Amino acid sequence: MRITILNGEPNPTAAFDAYQKLLAERLKALRHVVETLELRTLQLKGCSGCFNCWLRTPGECCKSDDSATICRAVINSDLVLFASPIVMGFTSALLKRAADQMVPLVHPYLAVQGGEVHHRARYARYPKLGLLLGAGHDTDAEDIEITTAIWSRTARNLKSTLSFVAVADRDAQEVADELALAA
Amino acid sequence: MNSLLLLNGSPRGERSNSIKMLSRVAEGWQQAGGAAPEILHLARPSQIERAVQAFATADTVLLGMPLYTDAMPALVKAYIEALAPRVAASQSGESNPTLAFLVQSGFPEALHSRFVERYLEKLARRFGSQYAGTIVRGGGEALQSMPDEANKKLWTRLRNLGSQLAHNGRFGEAELKAVAGIERFSTPAIVLLSIVGKLPIAQFMWNGTLKKNGAWTQRFAAPYGPAFR
Repeated sequence: MRITILNGEPNPTAAFDAYQKLLAERLKALRHVVETLELRTLQLKGCSGCFNCWLRTPGECCKSDDSATICRAVINSDLVLFASPIVMGFTSALLKRAADQMVPLVHPYLAVQGGEVHHRARYARYPKLGLLLGAGHDTDAEDIEITTAIWSRTARNLKSTLSFVAVADRDAQEVADELALAA
Repeated sequence: MNSLLLLNGSPRGERSNSIKMLSRVAEGWQQAGGAAPEILHLARPSQIERAVQAFATADTVLLGMPLYTDAMPALVKAYIEALAPRVAASQSGESNPTLAFLVQSGFPEALHSRFVERYLEKLARRFGSQYAGTIVRGGGEALQSMPDEANKKLWTRLRNLGSQLAHNGRFGEAELKAVAGIERFSTPAIVLLSIVGKLPIAQFMWNGTLKKNGAWTQRFAAPYGPAFR
């Protein structure tokens, strides 16, 4: 399986960053193809809500930055793991910036999906999504629940499901095994 | 008089639907005797530092934003992260402002915004702030193309909410419910929408712009993989 890790940890010396490297090694040992995109090293100008990716150059962001690399990797993965520390009760602004720039992956048209109105798909297939969270000193169970609920909604809008959630305080091998099952 | 800090969290800044709506809430606030608000746009990097400073001294903060991938836009999250010292400050006895929010989305139903609403309510607790409520409103993108006249009812409701905030320090439940509109479509309505297959008003709006931009024939383009049919 092709697994892409979107690393939304802003701090390169954080323990959470080291954990992700270990997890990636374990996943590779399980014969998965793993690519990590270190979001902090990419140039992401952020979504400015211009809608050009829907209405002028359909499917493509008009900004010349690394967001196309992310979009391409996401669409060509079997599972995308959103990895982020919990900061002020939610995943990082860095990860959110990447997520905001995934809007070209869906179509502006609205369609009914599961009894709700959502955007129409642009692609024939979308990856499963997973969430790997690094708990902060002030993170509580409610923060994790709220964060998970929001990302489940994002998954639904990306024509996908959130098929895996873990907090990075567990054994990396155990998490890798679970993630492999989810993919 | 109570001070109000009005923060526009839309990446579109001054040209956003969020500021149009926030301005109406501010009008109601002033009509009810509240002080003229300080207005800052988080999309302008030069205003972020001031927005962080002003948070510490305002009586009430109203933060409005569009729903971006089911949550707050990245620049709003960055602002919230910059406010982390205010959590520590509240734990050492300082007070934080009353917090009110506005979340608007292009989806016709309000339910899409309820998840980030939970986050915002928790955020207020994190700051030790009084939580004044979150205005949730769908169908936001249509504001761009509609004459102001058509939105009269919405503007009135938003002004009412602003007045309630000034009078009571919080939004009224009934007005919040009214402004939210459709929470979720009923089963018969959703069946009807599925049969029609399209939401004509929304699609029509996009089609006009696609044609004007010369992008109509490319509208289903899928540059990174096989297209959905």
